[in-house]
Amino acid sequence: MFRGTLTASQRRLAFGLVLPALFVILFINIYPLFQSFILSLQEYNAKFPAQRHYVWFGNYLKLFRDPEYLAALRTTFFFTFVSVALELFLGLGAALIMNRPFFGRGLVRAAVLIPWAIPTVISARMWEWMYNDQFGVINDILMHLHLIPEPIPWLGRPGVALWAIIIADVWKTMPFMALLLLAGLQVIPEELYEAAVIDGAGTFKRFWYVTLPLLRPAILVSLIFRTIDAFRVFDVVFVLTGGASGTKTLVVLNREVFFSFLNYGYGSAISVTIFAFIFLISLAYIKGFGRKWRLIE
Amino acid sequence: MRKVGLILVALLFGLFGIYGISAEKITLIVASGSKTSPSYAVLAKQAERYMQMHPNIEIKIQEMPWSSTLQHDMYATWLSGQLPYPDILRLDIIWPPEFASAGWVIPLDEYIEAAGIDLSDFLPGPINGVTWQGKIYAIPYFTDAGLLYYRKDLLEKYGFEPPETFQDLKEQALYIMEKEGIPNGFVWQGDAYEGLTCDFLEFLWGNGGDVLDAQGNVVIDSPEAVEALEIMVDYIKSGVSPEGVTTYKEEDARNVFQRGDAIFMRNWPYAWKKLNAPDSPVAGKVGVKPMVHGPGKKSAATLGGWNLAINAYSRHPKEAFDFIMYLTSPENMKELAIEAGLSPTRASLYKNPQVLAANPFWKYFYDVLLGARPRPVHPRYPEISNVIFTEVHRALTGEITPAQAIKNMADRIRQIVGGGGG
Repeated sequence: MFRGTLTASQRRLAFGLVLPALFVILFINIYPLFQSFILSLQEYNAKFPAQRHYVWFGNYLKLFRDPEYLAALRTTFFFTFVSVALELFLGLGAALIMNRPFFGRGLVRAAVLIPWAIPTVISARMWEWMYNDQFGVINDILMHLHLIPEPIPWLGRPGVALWAIIIADVWKTMPFMALLLLAGLQVIPEELYEAAVIDGAGTFKRFWYVTLPLLRPAILVSLIFRTIDAFRVFDVVFVLTGGASGTKTLVVLNREVFFSFLNYGYGSAISVTIFAFIFLISLAYIKGFGRKWRLIE
Repeated sequence: MRKVGLILVALLFGLFGIYGISAEKITLIVASGSKTSPSYAVLAKQAERYMQMHPNIEIKIQEMPWSSTLQHDMYATWLSGQLPYPDILRLDIIWPPEFASAGWVIPLDEYIEAAGIDLSDFLPGPINGVTWQGKIYAIPYFTDAGLLYYRKDLLEKYGFEPPETFQDLKEQALYIMEKEGIPNGFVWQGDAYEGLTCDFLEFLWGNGGDVLDAQGNVVIDSPEAVEALEIMVDYIKSGVSPEGVTTYKEEDARNVFQRGDAIFMRNWPYAWKKLNAPDSPVAGKVGVKPMVHGPGKKSAATLGGWNLAINAYSRHPKEAFDFIMYLTSPENMKELAIEAGLSPTRASLYKNPQVLAANPFWKYFYDVLLGARPRPVHPRYPEISNVIFTEVHRALTGEITPAQAIKNMADRIRQIVGGGGG
């Protein structure tokens, strides 16, 4: 619509000004992605560079018959769903509490960010010690309360280990969710609540018909962020179990295939599928929830 | 335009400065263990001496992380990017076939011949480990082998001889645990990582099994292998080993043993110095012996150790080789043994009174070292090891039976060795 108002030289200038940014994006985003895709079509192990050749979609066909990959896929989806659901639930609760006036609220709002501020590798080490079977504080407390007869190796039991990781992850990322939701709560005009009270709405109705609908944009944004992050989870798993005891997620498997086995072809195929899953998840959020919740007209 | 030109000139000078083209000194970068590892201080001292003797050479030490797996992955990233440094790499004994077949390190035979160096003093195990298809790719720097640590005081108190078989260890452990109220009998490395492969191999070899035969065929699906894994699982089920051993690495096991909370421990020689430190609750109460084994079978130790190799993209391989031979000379290796407690790769040093005075238990250790066995020699060893520790760990945590784990191992290792699986 500006076309008519711009002279040819102005258009050239505008294009020239955008060009560097386009180049940067092309160079640091599109090119590596394209390169990964090309690699994913090859059988290429850095240990045997001479045997490099194209297998086209052979790596992808193998992926969906590889039990390690399928197990990692299941683990990743389970981790993502459970941790994001817990974070949303707990984060919303925390945000609602922090949105009420009480003594020392500023301090609480700052303090709640601490888990988020600690680098994951460090907080994961902390959890590793707390989960330890011989010296861990969690076993110590449970033993003193006579809730368990003997210490439990939380990270060494299949089935239990994944939950232990989910708890460590929720502890860390719930504050992020809470703060995003708190920001959303603060822009809801007080008048709406007053009107609802006059109409006779109770606490629950006010939450359901006023707070929740108006909070939807904030919920959507935090869900997109957290789902993508959770799907790509690496550090907390890598430190706590290294992928043992049924906790190997896609990115942990990807790192192993890429850097421990130096299998660049197969590793790239895994990377490309991770990208595809994240792309689909984002699309689902924006198309599905976005339209229903009137974020996109 | 002129400004751009100036900036370019400045940048070029900067680059030349970094790559040392304008400098007359040759810079060698040598990889080392982490700053907290015992070898770091000794290496720094020896590098300092070398620089005084060779004023044209500057040696820089590049610190690497503790974990062998992480070191491997960093090297892999650098070398597949053809980075010319570090000039001197420190290779774990399991990497030479892989690095050699990738063309990341150079064969040293020509240099060895040209300098007229005699390698016959070096122990056979480490030399085998650095040889791939008839060529030598690294010089052994220090070596390692798995050992069984035991509480000398407790065994004597109850009149036990140090255990020989898997069954001996179980009986002694259960008896003393009961009498002394000690929570654990035997701790080892049960987490799913390289350390578990080492431990499992000692059970496997000590029970008469193996992974690959001399021709490279996969022979792991044997009754001996299933039995070896059943013994490990039984240690956990019967309470000889804590259930949490499936999360232990070397230091976790040592922490438990050093607190006096276990009677036996499988670990590497490095633990000796720490166990006998003045503030250690078990100082002076610990004995070492070769690992336990099956009835009528021979004890086996997994060979470990680190070796110095030359980066194939290094600009100064000749100088790098000279510095490697300096570090592995008898005098410097002796210093490393006495000050850092690292086991020499030269046989003659095990008869040296000063070395033995600093590390009295090496008298026994020498025989263990001579019998120590290399892990499966194959360029795709990291994948083979990953299969081994993953499946063993599944059996240890009760996810699958030992027989199923061994069958999975055999199938998957056959795929890897046969070139399948990418």
